[in-house]
Amino acid sequence: MHRLAFLAAASAVALAAPAQAEPLKIGIIESLSGAQTSTGRLYANAVEYGVDQINKAGGFNGEPVQVTEYDNAGGAPEAADKFRQAVADGVDIIFQGASSAIAGQLTEDVRKHNIRNAGHEVMFINLGGEAMELTGEKCQFYHFRFTTTAPMRVNALVNAMKADGDLGTKVYSINQNYSWGQDMQKAVEAAADTGGYEVVGEVLHDVNKIQDFAPFVARIKAAAPDTVFTGNWSNDLLLLMKATGDAGLDVTFATAFLDQPGNIANAGKTAIGHYIANNYDNAASDGKFAEDYKAATGHYPIFVEGHSAFALAQLKQALDTLDFGGGEIDVTKIALALEDSTYDSPVGPSSVRKADHQTIRPVVVSKVVENPKYPADDTDMGFQTVKVVPGEDAIYPVQDSCQMKRPGE
Amino acid sequence: MEFAIVSTLNGVTYGLLLFMVSAGLTLIFGMMGVLNFAHASFYMLGAYVAYAVSSAFGFLAGLVVAPILVGIVGMLVERFLLPRVHAHGHAHELLLTFGLALIIEELIKLFFGDFPVNYQMPGDLRFSAFTIFGSDYPFYRLFIGGMAVVMFALLWLLLTRTRTGIVVRAAERLPAMAEALGHNIPVVFMAVFGTGAALAGLAGAVAGAFYPTNPNMGIELGVIVFVVVVVGGLGSLKGSLLASLLIGLFSSFAVGLDWSLAGLFGLVGLGDWARAIGGLMTLKLSSVSATIPFALMLLVLLVRPAGLMGERN
Repeated sequence: MHRLAFLAAASAVALAAPAQAEPLKIGIIESLSGAQTSTGRLYANAVEYGVDQINKAGGFNGEPVQVTEYDNAGGAPEAADKFRQAVADGVDIIFQGASSAIAGQLTEDVRKHNIRNAGHEVMFINLGGEAMELTGEKCQFYHFRFTTTAPMRVNALVNAMKADGDLGTKVYSINQNYSWGQDMQKAVEAAADTGGYEVVGEVLHDVNKIQDFAPFVARIKAAAPDTVFTGNWSNDLLLLMKATGDAGLDVTFATAFLDQPGNIANAGKTAIGHYIANNYDNAASDGKFAEDYKAATGHYPIFVEGHSAFALAQLKQALDTLDFGGGEIDVTKIALALEDSTYDSPVGPSSVRKADHQTIRPVVVSKVVENPKYPADDTDMGFQTVKVVPGEDAIYPVQDSCQMKRPGE
Repeated sequence: MEFAIVSTLNGVTYGLLLFMVSAGLTLIFGMMGVLNFAHASFYMLGAYVAYAVSSAFGFLAGLVVAPILVGIVGMLVERFLLPRVHAHGHAHELLLTFGLALIIEELIKLFFGDFPVNYQMPGDLRFSAFTIFGSDYPFYRLFIGGMAVVMFALLWLLLTRTRTGIVVRAAERLPAMAEALGHNIPVVFMAVFGTGAALAGLAGAVAGAFYPTNPNMGIELGVIVFVVVVVGGLGSLKGSLLASLLIGLFSSFAVGLDWSLAGLFGLVGLGDWARAIGGLMTLKLSSVSATIPFALMLLVLLVRPAGLMGERN
């Protein structure tokens, strides 16, 4: 009895204490174990760096922004599970980047959650899921894509390589047989007229299951292309490039993920002269951001870290326009502010297209050279910027399949 | 003709690599009845050990140290871990090695990082053996194939033509009898397990320099190696060789063939109808080439449940 009375008194005191301001909570639902750890870890690093920057500038709503990592182990079912946990923890904004399949799961989970919990919405900032359907059939108000898509990368590559005279007139497309690879193949076909090339062959193959690419190289050789377009990542890119190099085939690769750590070192001299289109490269900027990042984390931003940090910087700009006065956080207002934001990233301005929440962003095209300014993987090779294609030139029309329902509609 | 020759060459060398990795697995299962799920992890461990050693003492040193070290790890596993669950049967041994595989993978990530490491073959081995139809054929592929052939010959001779082989086979058939005749059965089993692990380590050291050495290499090859062993017949060395070559050749030829079900229907004039249906009908063989080994496994299991050369057909 005595104890009960004490408890009652204690809770009365706790309730009477002045209400603390509500902190903004960010959840990183990322592949932190399993096969995609290497990529997931980098996204998580960059988000944490970005949150640190926000907190250094005073946080948000009178409190430091809180960030929690959730490990989805590389699978969509685990991601759905971790999303429920994040919601239970009161997370306002979730981040994910390593997989389109997981992004597809999360964006649906977020959409359903927001229908059922009006007033307690959650927002999803997609840092790397490039599948077209995420801003097509699956597009929704609370999903924002802060990365490129296949047509943006391909158009930028065609544009820059043609100007450099490295494109040629015969193009081969080899891609992984799932949404991303199929998007790449379609983009390569679609850009044939503007690029003035003929697609002499195309093949889709299983994702990261193939150990031996020699048979594919034999196919490519038979078609005799000048340039090979591939959206392959991880082993599929490395093995393909190595097999091509071993066969002594003289083609230029136009890639999307050549900057994945370990690729340049493993490919060796075979990599020289190949192209990549991505969101950001240190060599394309004035170097200030790269130095800041290095000072904070101990290394220059690599692979996806740069553009992921910019997503947080853009979010910070949006947050700066809002003031909830220490009260409850309204995620819908944050989303609306993010729609209106324009962030001047080190490689050019980035803004959100309201119709489908794809960011209109610059695409950097680079080429592997010897003795670059920022060497990759402790080698003497690295990327040299060929061209920075501004956002308005890289963007493609909104897909017809996107029917976005805005809040209040 | 060019297609057939190039595909055969690629298929055979890839098949021999598969054999090199699966030989140890077959040996361990055939002689001890342990289905070692961690086998592909030993393969990965071999590649990483060779990488670490070769960066200090050269490529050859890596090739020698990797199998020895991985073999010792294998022996320790057999000596201290497996006996604890042996009494509970195969399922427990399988689960134990499965857990071991996860632990090895995470340990590798802890020590060597998440990214592929820069394990390269020495420049002296990086040349083309010959030129065929205008493309170079890397010598290292032949080197891998040659190693596999030597490995098969040595193992086969050891098991069938030497006294040691007789003791090992006796230990497998009638362990109590062999023990009664004065042979130290636990030591024999430990040696067999160690040899199997060492073979995986050697395969890793050789193949890791050709394919990327990364923390996923175990998972990537692990599944296919099990397919090889099942298709060949659990425990049959010759079966493994046959299955590896079959899988290598099938995968290699499938890549070059844009066959689809619609094409098949086209032969009887129903091509347009099949293409209109789409979906499975227009799926090209080349886009599912990595799935072919699994289809082959299904077929073999249906027709010969014990595998191509398994004993209990």
